[in-house]
Amino acid sequence: MPTNSTLIRFENVTKEFQEGDQRRAVLRDLSATIQPGEFVAMIGRSGSGKSTLLNLLAGLDLPTAGEIWIGETCISALADHARTLFRRDHIGFVFQFFNLIPTLTVRENVLLTAELNGWQANAARIQADALLGAVGLLDRANVFPDKLSGGEQQRVAIARALCADPALILADEPTGNLDADTGAHVLDLLLRLARAQGKTLVMVTHSPDIAALADRVLRLDHGKLLDSAVVG
Amino acid sequence: MKPILVVLLLGLFIVLTFAFFNATQTPQVSASIVGLQASTDIAGYARADHVRDFKFPDDHGPHPEFQTEWWYYTGNLQARDGRRFGYQLTFFRRAITPTAAPRESAWATNQIYFAHFALTDEKTNRHESSERFSRGAAGLAGATGKPFRVWLETWEATALNADGSRVQLRADEAGRALDLTLAATKPPVLHGERGLSQKSADAGNASYYISFTRLDTTGTLTLNGETFAVTGSSWMDHEFSTAVLGENAVGWDWFSIQLADNRELMLFQIRQKDGSIEPLSSGTLVEPDGTARRLSREQFSIEALASWKSGATGATYPAVWRVTIPAREMVLTITPVIADQEMRVSILYWEGAVEVSGTVRGVGFVEMTGYAGGK
Amino acid sequence: MQLTLFKTALRDQLRRPWMTLLVILSVALGVAVVVAVDLANASAARAFKLSTDAVIGKATHQIVGGARGVDENVYRDLRIAQGNRLSAPIVEEYATARELGAQTFRVLGVDLFAEAPFRTYLTANTTQVGLDAFAAFLTQPNSALVSAASAERYGVQVGDPITLVLGTRERTITLVGLLRPPNDISARALDNLILTDIATAQELAGMLGKLTRIDLIATEAHARALAATLPAGLRVASASEQAETITQLTAAFQLNLTAFSLLALAVGMFLIYNTTLFSVVQRRRVLGILRCVGVTGRQIFALILFEAAISGVVGALLGVGLGILLGRLTVALVTQTINDLYFSVTVRGVDVDALSILKGVLLGVLAAVLAAALPAAEAASVPAITALQRSDLESRLRRFIPAITTLGLALLVTGAATLWGINNVTVAFAGIFLGLFGVTLGVPLLTVALMRGVTQTLGRVGLLSRMAARTITQALSRTSVAIAALMVAVSVVIGVTIMIASFRTTVVNWLDQTLTADIYISPPITGGNRPTTMDATLVEKIRAVKNIRGSELIRNATARSPELGDVRLIAVTAVYNRVFKSANAGDVWRQVAGGSVVISEPLANRFRLREGDTITLLTDRGAKQFPIVGVYFDYSSDQGMLLLSLDVYREWWDDPNLSAVAIYVAPNADEAQVENAIRAAVGNAQVIVQSNKSLRDAALVIFDRTFAITATLRIIAIIVAFIGVLSALMALQLERTRELGTLRATGMTLRQLWQLTLLESGLMGATAGILAIPTGLLLSAILIYVINLRSFGWTIFFEPVPEVYAQAFAVAVCAALLAAVYPMVRLGRLQVAEALREE
Repeated sequence: MPTNSTLIRFENVTKEFQEGDQRRAVLRDLSATIQPGEFVAMIGRSGSGKSTLLNLLAGLDLPTAGEIWIGETCISALADHARTLFRRDHIGFVFQFFNLIPTLTVRENVLLTAELNGWQANAARIQADALLGAVGLLDRANVFPDKLSGGEQQRVAIARALCADPALILADEPTGNLDADTGAHVLDLLLRLARAQGKTLVMVTHSPDIAALADRVLRLDHGKLLDSAVVG
Repeated sequence: MKPILVVLLLGLFIVLTFAFFNATQTPQVSASIVGLQASTDIAGYARADHVRDFKFPDDHGPHPEFQTEWWYYTGNLQARDGRRFGYQLTFFRRAITPTAAPRESAWATNQIYFAHFALTDEKTNRHESSERFSRGAAGLAGATGKPFRVWLETWEATALNADGSRVQLRADEAGRALDLTLAATKPPVLHGERGLSQKSADAGNASYYISFTRLDTTGTLTLNGETFAVTGSSWMDHEFSTAVLGENAVGWDWFSIQLADNRELMLFQIRQKDGSIEPLSSGTLVEPDGTARRLSREQFSIEALASWKSGATGATYPAVWRVTIPAREMVLTITPVIADQEMRVSILYWEGAVEVSGTVRGVGFVEMTGYAGGK
Repeated sequence: MQLTLFKTALRDQLRRPWMTLLVILSVALGVAVVVAVDLANASAARAFKLSTDAVIGKATHQIVGGARGVDENVYRDLRIAQGNRLSAPIVEEYATARELGAQTFRVLGVDLFAEAPFRTYLTANTTQVGLDAFAAFLTQPNSALVSAASAERYGVQVGDPITLVLGTRERTITLVGLLRPPNDISARALDNLILTDIATAQELAGMLGKLTRIDLIATEAHARALAATLPAGLRVASASEQAETITQLTAAFQLNLTAFSLLALAVGMFLIYNTTLFSVVQRRRVLGILRCVGVTGRQIFALILFEAAISGVVGALLGVGLGILLGRLTVALVTQTINDLYFSVTVRGVDVDALSILKGVLLGVLAAVLAAALPAAEAASVPAITALQRSDLESRLRRFIPAITTLGLALLVTGAATLWGINNVTVAFAGIFLGLFGVTLGVPLLTVALMRGVTQTLGRVGLLSRMAARTITQALSRTSVAIAALMVAVSVVIGVTIMIASFRTTVVNWLDQTLTADIYISPPITGGNRPTTMDATLVEKIRAVKNIRGSELIRNATARSPELGDVRLIAVTAVYNRVFKSANAGDVWRQVAGGSVVISEPLANRFRLREGDTITLLTDRGAKQFPIVGVYFDYSSDQGMLLLSLDVYREWWDDPNLSAVAIYVAPNADEAQVENAIRAAVGNAQVIVQSNKSLRDAALVIFDRTFAITATLRIIAIIVAFIGVLSALMALQLERTRELGTLRATGMTLRQLWQLTLLESGLMGATAGILAIPTGLLLSAILIYVINLRSFGWTIFFEPVPEVYAQAFAVAVCAALLAAVYPMVRLGRLQVAEALREE
């Protein structure tokens, strides 16, 4: 990853969807930058464009207009295959519904991304076990995800997101499906690990409490960025 | 879920095993050899057990009631440039059964014919032999007495006159060929007791044996595609029998000598298992006027002076002989024209042109059987 | 590399063992049929080649003659006047050997002294026969050798008598020895051989003075030079030519079998497609996550293909095993037909040859991978977005219906164009496959239309019917494939049934018109479609029987045409009982009596001949041109026949023999009495005296036997289709577990759910049944007017067979209803709460 001051750069990004005969703009002429190592919370009401923005950032979708830069790569100009490879190399995901692969064990879920990145099997395993240790689940490594509680599944998901050593972690309401205590625990873990490894963290959330922990908050409303505030 | 996979694989294994197991068969043990040597069972065949009256030319022809019969033509020939050749063309008849069942097909027969054809070339020191077989039926091979003819496909000896004293010989094989006219200068010689030639003491262990001992020969001989006009002298033996040799016989040495003084000499000795010579071995001396005089075992001796070992078969044969007939003051040294005149056909034997020196000079042919291992 | 990724695929398969099992089973069944047919064909071909090789040996050419063979003097001249030593005389005849399982054997008469260059297994050093046996073989009348294996099989020993039926004669031969060839291959080559001395063979076959042929080893140039020296009526044929001609006879028959077997595999492919698609749809969420995590589309594509390939390999291996077992059945059927119609061949069990098996496995895996390609592409296009709408695929499919239908139509047109445009049977089958695929692409549109109709009519009656129809429409990507599979299977049943029925009716009508005499007398058939011979004296005895109004004499023979190869001749004394497809105006018989000929439809089609053309035949008097004055319908031989007057035949060929006599009984006489009188007249001669009816029945028995294998394949196609519907229904039910739970929770009774399932299944079956009717009709028309005409050269008259459609419809619906049983059982076990919780 580049070491210059900006990691992510949106330049006049617009995203429209075709709905019947009409086109509906979800993001309008949006520009923003995110620095390396920053923890940015993205808040807004349902339908404000948070998830769309996250998908664009992940290279899962393309903007109708504008450019998205991650480091020195304009991912909005990449073809699907190249975006997949870029995502694989540089981005880790934490989902609201955990989304572990049911047919893989806990360890295999974690090391999958490293393995996809071409790591040696042994190295991937050491990395996975280190991360499982960090999230406190090494003893469950050989269990299938359906044997784990929600909080445990999300901890595995965090380990998975970090396993291939990405620069950027995208989290989509990672605590949204957990009770308050467990959520707090999981969030704490995620932040600790992200900070310790100097990862940039972009998190979509509804919770002002979580937003309060962020370095910066991006507030979306009707596809527009309202303000950006640096919160202590 | 694993049991299902196990059951599936097990089923697959069983199905495949069953399918393949049933498809393979146990290999059959089999071995070989159809022998052409006929059975030694001689019951039902005519035997040479009495003196018979020969009637020519009929008796030049076949006698199918006897098991074995042959017409042996051998000779020493010279090309115009003096190049010396020997030849052998022999027709064998063998009955498989004493009598032939009446059959509709012209192919049906109990008679088998085979023939040997060999040429000796002194200049190149080469001797080549070959062999043919046929059923004696369907016009493919056979023999007749009146007029005399014996043939096996393209190989033949055919009388050119009514009494069979003039004969045309023809044979060919891959670049080798013979086309000769033979004219007898003496009447047929009846060996032994008026043609009954005893080979051992048991009654019937004998053959009927007739020869043309001197046949003036002219014609052509082809070797490696090159044809020579040749002249020379031939000898013809016609012999038929059933079970000639006694139990102890291992083979015979046979000599046909044409001497420069217009006499001919036939000698044979039958060798026994114990190394002795069958007492009934005998010979015939033919005078210039054609008179045949019988020689008994005591009247001659044959002494081998050297031996030759065949590189091809490993068999060892006598190679030079001294023949002594004291009563006639005759001492002959008989030397093969070339050493290797082994007949490497389905029956292994040595038969070749020889040079005769000593008290009188001459040429001839020698046949030796029973020297090849196991025979 | 990405071992972990492939673990997901493997574990996924194990998590749905039933789906996996279905894919494996459908591959297995398809492969089994293909392998079975291939093995049967290959076994028959190999057995034929072995026995031909055994008989031809190292011969490069053969001197052959007309119906009466080659004069034996020709051989003697060849041997002596020409000094040709690479020649061997052969007398050959076919005979039924009673003590050898009443099988047809080839009686091969050889001259052992000429054999050495030709057939090594007969000569010294390779075969242990024994001295006495050898002497007996040569000198005893009626002595013979068989292979030790044959003797063991039929429990006969040296010294045993064996009764041979040769033509009209019965002769007893004695087994004087056993051939023990050095290896298994040559042992099998001797399987249906009775070896005799040439003299014995001449006597047995009544061929005194004659040879069947003279084998030669010669260069082409030498053979040509030799041919010039031969008397009229003889020619030099290359040794391979005859074997080739004979194997070509069965080519069309075997191609048809192969095509049908491939059809079974094609139906299986629908099933694989269906199951794979289902697994993809069910895993969309997981696939979406994998895409998010960084798995590329290509990797997903490979993953799905990998899954299919695993099932394909397991299924194909299982199918090969099944196919070998099934091959035992098919090989018997195939051999029977070849023996009935073409030539005599003895096949001992199945040759499990590696090539057939490799082909089967490759085809199975290829079919699985190919069928999974579309679902795999679908899986690869799953976007990496976690919130997914399940109906995405369905809405897309519905959007694509016009395109798919257009493509289907295009394929149908291409198929049709191929069928009519290119005159080749293989291409025609390709056209059928293309067309059938085209029709299946029309299934989604037609299903939607039909279901709309159901909603508007039945739907008024009850909510359940409406729901069922909608479910089928909503799950179109799976239901339409299941319907298509069933439709193809049922239409194949309809098509093949109509074809066979039409063919049978045509043959029955043809027999009615052709078999006009009351009593038929002929030598026993020794297998194959080979000319048999009756003595002329026997015929005179028969004609002397009282109360005979008239008789027809028939001689079957083979003649050589320089342009067309071997042509089967039928020389007759009357032609009025032939139905002419086309003929010159006027009295055909008068022209035939005058030296013209008529030809059967297959011969006309094979060589594009018609009336007005001439055909050159090599007669015993040299080459002669015969004008063709008509083409007649004939179903007795797909090689075709040339019919000429017996007088004309005897004028050109030295052959006084006859093959059959047809007798017309005097008007007031008792037919049975005349039949018995004829039997008495022929005495001990081995002839078959048959009434008109029994001959006709015998013909139809052979006809039915010929189609036994087609009927078997038809059933297998149905089984595959049945499994297809079953899997589609199960897929539907599994996928709708949550919906079904909701329905149960909201108060639907189990009985109602069962009704819903039965309705859905029944509607699918009915749709398939309805669509299958026109498709089947079309298929039957193609089979009749294109495939049969091109393969065998005969015109079949279309017979609509109305009851087939109802039956086929019933089969479709029943298969579908039956397939609903398991999903219904499963519904009974459904835990509502758990179903609801399922994400």
